[in-house]
Amino acid sequence: MNSKALALVGGLMAATALAAAPAKADVKIGLLGGVSGPIAAMAPSMVEAAQLAISQVNAQGGILDGEQLVGVVGDSACNPQGGTDAATKAVNIEGVTAIVGPHCSGAVLAAAGSVTIPAGVVLVTPSGTSPEITGLDDNDTVFRTVPSDDYQGRALARTLKEQGYDKVAVAYINNDYGTGLANSFKSEFEAQGGEIAGYAAHEEGKASYRSNLAELSSGGAETLVIFDYGDGTGLTLLRQALENGFFTNFIGGDGMKSDAPIKELGAENLTTFFASSPVGEKSDALDTFNEAFKGAGGDPDAIFVTTSYDAAFLLALAVEKAGGDKAGVAAALREVSNGEGEAILPGEWEKAKKLIADGTAIDYKGAAGDQNFDEAGDVPGTYALFKVEGDAFAVVSEMK
Amino acid sequence: MELIGLANYALFMGIFIGIYALLALGLNIQWGFAGLFNAGIAGFFAVGAYASAIVTGPAAEGRLGGFDMPFFVGWLMAMVAAALIAWPIGKICLRFRSDYLAIASIGVAEIIRLVVKSEPALTNGARGITSLPRPFGDLPYVQSQMAYLAIVAIVLLGAYSLVERQFNAPWGRMMRAIRDNELAARAMGKNIERRRLEAFIFGSALMGLGGALFAHFNRSITPEAIDPMVATFLVWIMLILGGSGNNRGAILGAAMVWIIWSMSEIATDQLPAEYAVKAKYIRLFLIGLMLQLVLRFRPEGLLPEPQRGKAVADSNRE
Repeated sequence: MNSKALALVGGLMAATALAAAPAKADVKIGLLGGVSGPIAAMAPSMVEAAQLAISQVNAQGGILDGEQLVGVVGDSACNPQGGTDAATKAVNIEGVTAIVGPHCSGAVLAAAGSVTIPAGVVLVTPSGTSPEITGLDDNDTVFRTVPSDDYQGRALARTLKEQGYDKVAVAYINNDYGTGLANSFKSEFEAQGGEIAGYAAHEEGKASYRSNLAELSSGGAETLVIFDYGDGTGLTLLRQALENGFFTNFIGGDGMKSDAPIKELGAENLTTFFASSPVGEKSDALDTFNEAFKGAGGDPDAIFVTTSYDAAFLLALAVEKAGGDKAGVAAALREVSNGEGEAILPGEWEKAKKLIADGTAIDYKGAAGDQNFDEAGDVPGTYALFKVEGDAFAVVSEMK
Repeated sequence: MELIGLANYALFMGIFIGIYALLALGLNIQWGFAGLFNAGIAGFFAVGAYASAIVTGPAAEGRLGGFDMPFFVGWLMAMVAAALIAWPIGKICLRFRSDYLAIASIGVAEIIRLVVKSEPALTNGARGITSLPRPFGDLPYVQSQMAYLAIVAIVLLGAYSLVERQFNAPWGRMMRAIRDNELAARAMGKNIERRRLEAFIFGSALMGLGGALFAHFNRSITPEAIDPMVATFLVWIMLILGGSGNNRGAILGAAMVWIIWSMSEIATDQLPAEYAVKAKYIRLFLIGLMLQLVLRFRPEGLLPEPQRGKAVADSNRE
């Protein structure tokens, strides 16, 4: 870099140093979101949900010794360039204690790799679903409140094996969704001792999949697992498999749980069709959150708002528990959500604060689920297996 | 805010400016010297990043990798891979004139992006490659950033002095002659197709190197990084603002644009909280406005292309 540029950097740095000097007593949490970029439409609600948690904390006595919790919004732009830039500013310029976000997996991986892990700042992403985040060498500082893409495939594999399916064929659509699900399903099913008798990707939008199906069924499996969309190619695949009797049982991923197969093929033909899907787990926590978020002018049905809220509230609890010590936040985060202790629902800050002060163990029950982290900092999703009953889907069993 | 935090932020900006300066230098060879309108910088950036990631990254099932080479081998491979990809593309596309070349290169970058996204055996698809080694990455936060900045600075200095040397050499004069008057250059017996291809390949190799430096800094590379906004158009703005045809201008432009890009967020953060989210869009507007102003009032850039020979011509006249 030449000297002119250096001088320029120096000058501008000095200017900002003077400009940004808010009150020292505040505890700051970074809210990094894809404000600009491909998910710009989703990001504002997610940030609002996190802000709701922060305003609840402040309304109920504040954090630590009555200090204010402040959410510093940063634009991670849904790409690694923006993610690292926003994280660097949050950690170094704003001096945040912990970070909610970034929103997109690529930004999470980059921000964690180059900023938060080296700096030892806890990062909780509400929407980074990439399985790669699980395997990060993160000194236990990277968490998420949304299940990994891997989870559904593995849970489905375990459930099927438990229910006595030993030999299946897998057909999946050739994109991120289908490939990710199929890969995780296959490795878990084989690890559980099952046999994959056919495993093939198919391109979407073709008129006939009979040759694909014939090939898959030649392995001798009675059951076909389909990772595809029920109102698209998956429907064609299912129809042709039924018409030609290639398989007797059919299992779908969450994309297959659509009304289209029931309308088009008739419930009476789908008695051997099951689909896995995330369950909007009815809980008091969710109702409490929905009401509060509606009251704050937000839309509780918007995507990832529950996970964003949980991430912010959990971090506030962890900061309180750790006594404001940045290095202790990760350990405290596990303590406030390990499934043991007095239950804390969304918004119950005052109660939680008192319990923490008394040294009583607490357990946060989040709007999006119980949010009990596993060793990698991931949370399990809540999925169930559905069957067709009448003109709709009904739960057969929970998936573990 | 503490001093150490400011230092960290400055180091981070230095690293990013260095990486972007490499991209801008690469583009300067193509546009500044040879007049080739390459709008596919993101593509070569991606090729370099992934080539280095594959060569140095950890082994993974079902994906090419696990060679465990040291980072500098990866960076070398990044340049080689970007050059190898640039060769057939240049061979075909450089027959197009300026704006047609721009369209073709956008297409090429998009093809590369889609290949990266849909070839899990090569690039791990949409998930990207993680756990890349970062030189001196085991040091504490500040020290590891310092070390990486030093490496980036050395690489940039090396690239700059080599490109500057070429620029002043007969090769550089020939390139400018081809750019400014193709027919005259052809009449002088210059092999225009071959020279253009050279410029295209050299420039692309530098872009690949920039991509590799970026991937190792973040210890990961995902398809989200191949965003034309931040990997192509931002680089163009840097070069135009700094002054195309001037290597120092390319570096200065990279520094200016990145500093404004990054620091404008700190400025917008001073706005009341209810505008905090909306204010983020101002940054995009600022960059656009800046380009408009520069093109209107100083189209040659902050540091214009040095006009060697002009002084000589002037003195002869006197």
